[in-house]
Amino acid sequence: MLLSLILFVPVIGAALVALMPNEKLVRPIALFASLVELGLALFLLQNFDSTTAAMQFVEKKEWIASFGINYFLGIDGISLWLVILTCFLTPIIIVGSWDSISERLKSFHVSLLVLQTAMLGTFLSLDMVLFYTFWELSLVPMYFMIGIWGGARRIYATVKFFIFTMFGSVFMLVAMISLLYLTKQQLGFYSASILDFYRLDIPYIRGAWLSPQTLMFIAFSLAFAIKVPMFPVHTWLPDAHTEAPTPGSVILAGVMLKMGTYGFMRFSIPLFPDAVEEWSWFFLFIGVVGMIYGSLVAMVQTDIKKLVAYSSVAHMGYVVLGLFALNSYGFSGALYQMLNHGISTGALFLLVGMIYDRTHSREIAKYGGLAKAMPIYSICFFIITLSSIAVPGTNGFIGEFLILMGTFISAPIFGILAVTGVVLGAAYMLWMFKRVFFGQEGELILKYKEHGGLKDLNPRELGLMVVMIVMVFWMGIFPKHFLDYSKESLDHLTENYGQYELSMKTDIKEQLTAQIER
Amino acid sequence: MAESFWIGLIFAAPILGFLINGFNFRSKNYKLAGTVGTLAVATSFVSALALFSKLVSLPEAERVITHSFFQWISVGNFHVDASFLVDQLSGVMILIITGVGSLIHLFSIGYMSHDERPAKYFAYLNLFIVNMLLLVLGENLLILFVGWEGVGLCSYLLIGFWFSDKEKAAAGMKAFITNRIGDAGLLIGMFLLFMLTGTLSVTEILAQGPFATEVTFGIVSFACLALFIGATGKSAQIPLYVWLPDAMAGPTPVSALIHAATMVTAGVYMITRLNPVFMAAPISMEIIAWVGALTALFAASIGITQWDIKKILAYSTVSQLGYMFLALGVGSFNGAMFHLMTHAFFKALMFLGSGSVIHAMHEEQDIRKMGALKKYMPITHVTFVLGWLAIIGMPPFAGFFSKDEILWMSWHSPMGSKTLWFIGLIAAGMTAFYMTRLMALTFWGKSRVPENVHPHESPISMTLPLIVLGVLSVVGGWLGIPHVIGDVFGHIPNILEHWYGPKIVPIPGLEQAVASHEYALMTISVLVAGASAFTAYVWYTKREDIPKAISEKAKPLHSLVFEKYRVDEFYEAKIIKPAIETGKGLWAFVDVAFIDKISYWITSYIKDSGGGLRLLQNGNLQQYAFYIVLGLLGSISYLILG
Repeated sequence: MLLSLILFVPVIGAALVALMPNEKLVRPIALFASLVELGLALFLLQNFDSTTAAMQFVEKKEWIASFGINYFLGIDGISLWLVILTCFLTPIIIVGSWDSISERLKSFHVSLLVLQTAMLGTFLSLDMVLFYTFWELSLVPMYFMIGIWGGARRIYATVKFFIFTMFGSVFMLVAMISLLYLTKQQLGFYSASILDFYRLDIPYIRGAWLSPQTLMFIAFSLAFAIKVPMFPVHTWLPDAHTEAPTPGSVILAGVMLKMGTYGFMRFSIPLFPDAVEEWSWFFLFIGVVGMIYGSLVAMVQTDIKKLVAYSSVAHMGYVVLGLFALNSYGFSGALYQMLNHGISTGALFLLVGMIYDRTHSREIAKYGGLAKAMPIYSICFFIITLSSIAVPGTNGFIGEFLILMGTFISAPIFGILAVTGVVLGAAYMLWMFKRVFFGQEGELILKYKEHGGLKDLNPRELGLMVVMIVMVFWMGIFPKHFLDYSKESLDHLTENYGQYELSMKTDIKEQLTAQIER
Repeated sequence: MAESFWIGLIFAAPILGFLINGFNFRSKNYKLAGTVGTLAVATSFVSALALFSKLVSLPEAERVITHSFFQWISVGNFHVDASFLVDQLSGVMILIITGVGSLIHLFSIGYMSHDERPAKYFAYLNLFIVNMLLLVLGENLLILFVGWEGVGLCSYLLIGFWFSDKEKAAAGMKAFITNRIGDAGLLIGMFLLFMLTGTLSVTEILAQGPFATEVTFGIVSFACLALFIGATGKSAQIPLYVWLPDAMAGPTPVSALIHAATMVTAGVYMITRLNPVFMAAPISMEIIAWVGALTALFAASIGITQWDIKKILAYSTVSQLGYMFLALGVGSFNGAMFHLMTHAFFKALMFLGSGSVIHAMHEEQDIRKMGALKKYMPITHVTFVLGWLAIIGMPPFAGFFSKDEILWMSWHSPMGSKTLWFIGLIAAGMTAFYMTRLMALTFWGKSRVPENVHPHESPISMTLPLIVLGVLSVVGGWLGIPHVIGDVFGHIPNILEHWYGPKIVPIPGLEQAVASHEYALMTISVLVAGASAFTAYVWYTKREDIPKAISEKAKPLHSLVFEKYRVDEFYEAKIIKPAIETGKGLWAFVDVAFIDKISYWITSYIKDSGGGLRLLQNGNLQQYAFYIVLGLLGSISYLILG
């Protein structure tokens, strides 16, 4: 029941928001719903059994019986932290947009909460059809968020975003249906259960393009690669980010991109291990290219937000590298980096939003000397920058180090290339930081100086940043508090992705009843 | 008290100092901030003393104190504990860091008295001490790396402390990014070591020794070379030294602490820490020796031509660090650690002395506008003289013993050569020249001080550290008196060599020293240094026309050296610009002009075919959502059921 509750509390919140006659109550109710949700997520964490790799809190209800399609939920050490991340970021976003979103308040919060359910659904589904439904559903609220509350070129950005993602999904759909037919062939019954998919022996011919496993691997991976996004299908992201309102950017970077890397971890790698081993070099290559490419392009951006967007391409390149290193360092690093990216890039977008609310400009050249005008803001920005460039002590370092080590161990050449990302990452972030915060006061700062100067962070904004900064250091200094929950699942994936299977953890109560019946 | 208490305290005190001053970063009360900061480091110094005396009290073979606080990372077979190791090497280092650190904190109170943000300054300085201690005490190379990057971060913050000046902010950024290049090498070195030994724990790595010597360039040599690249970043060696001269943009006590005494020696320390591994890679060692020797020569030659007092000292630091790497490369880890210590004393002294001068001259750093300062600043002058005698290698000052050991070993060690010794000797001659030139132009000769400036001696809080460091610059060398001299005076032991002994792999095939050779080399180097110091003295106090004439005559050469061989310009043109251009090119031609073009094509195709549906678009949110969900479910059902 717990997972269903977690899945549907946001929708219930959305319904309440929609029914609320008074606009003033919209924000508090949405915030309340998201906090209840966060409480539930923490309750889940507390009751999570970290000693097993099996699926926990499993729920299964028949949906379309003739095709073996079920409402089938479960959670393990891989999805656990992504669920927590989603539930953590939603209240942050609601508080973060407290002042900046003022139009169509109701629709905005409905979209946000529905989006939360959709994202949680993708992480919790153990049924392929259910997964796909949530995967597609998540596009809709995001589409509106950018399309309604976005910037000047929002329509262009939304269409681009929608078409890129849909394009990938179509291929995944086809592969999914093929898998469904394979279950009938091999297991004797239709099943859309991911756990049943793992048991399939998907035909594979080494070196042949047309072997079913390779084709399905490509189809799934294309969908995920676009979502991540990996080079060269990343171009929707900078536009989507630049046009999206701050909350949209935070959730897009914070959670939605992870749906792609999660997909690799849950589907591509364990389902198609032979194809993965044959093609891992290609993904390592693309990962490194994405990292270097993203960094170089980020370096020359003139818009702060676009710079952060391209930095996302680079950071997600790290995650892909970690995944396709196919060892425990890579997997752990990749999972950790997903969370780090959620925190650090989420916080960066919040910060960019805060300054944009004040000056209505994101042009780097117009800033300069901001450190003097807004010292507290600058300190927060700097700490998040440190996390983004993976300075030891921050969360970013743990993820980046494990990924680099994993990559180096399985493919030294790619490891050496990837290490250059460490330099480039520092270069684009610090150069931007220098131009925005240091030096003489820029055009914009002087303009506002005449009108009493720019206001430093208010308590609401500072509170948000403090929460994020605490997470940055907590995750950087005590990574075991986080990784220990996922250890079993990650080790299981590392050791067995070749013949991956997942069991379901049964409740003690169920075990007892089963024994009694016997 | 338990060792864990002192290890905890050595970190806790500066962390607390950082937090107190950090949260009061707006405070202008420099006395309070300075007292908090200085007391914090002084507490660390007391802890360091306690740990060191504990170390001394242990029997020679068991001089190790370790303590693990918690497990930091544990993934697969990779485990890193937050654990710390005090032994002969790190024991001396923590004394230098906290001892010299305390003096420099004390000096800073006076120096920063007119600054707008003294609390922020002391917060950063305390944070630096924390990270530097992590670096030297880390039992695991990854903990060392935490400190390694941490000191780089503090260096960035302190170089760019006066960030309103664009140039200073740029210098900070340059330092960080250049260091990051080195760090990338260090990372690769660590990965290789992990692949070789299955751990990054220093104790466990060294326990796997002795390592078989690699005759050809194998994986150990590769690992050592990668680690050395890390060292060239932090310790400012060719080709990554370029950040250090620019780092002088920071407050002068910072230059003394970070860019002379402690942080820049991290590379020397790291290599000494892993000396059994490096000894197994003779090819890498040879590279290290050559890079060190060439850096020593190259930087010294630039030092001769500069006019900025801090820039001269900066190039001098690069050059002296080169000596340390020369020592490492010829297998004289002892010599490197010895010179590290004496250099920490006399270079910190001279940087603080220059700070005292700059403070007195109202932020003037050009030595052409100084001269005859000795009558206004007697204490600064006398202590500076001690530092000067130490660095040019006059017996019995500290630098003489340590530099002599390096020169001797580069001649005598089978890993060294006569060429390396000769390069070292020339660099020593240059050192004596540029340092005497600096002394002559600053303190002696005629006054060229502008009339509106009235130099004055600094307050006691600034001169006291100078005096202490001055004494150390004299006696510091006596800890490592070579056997040939020690024997003459009745068996004075070489304390340092004995102390480091258990931690250092002896050089294979090292022959017994011949006393007459050692005396001969010693005499040569003292004569060379003395002669060039005398020349510089005469030229820059009495016959200033001579150097002028020379630089006129050899104009192209002089301007090449004066412009620092135009290395910065070369990097700018060949690395930074191309990278930026590539970024622009990728963005414009790949993202916008290529990938997006394809996506437009697909988009317009879909748009055209979907024209009829426009009727359904009326801008109503709920309706949109409804249609899309309906459509999705419909198409899914169709595909599955149909």
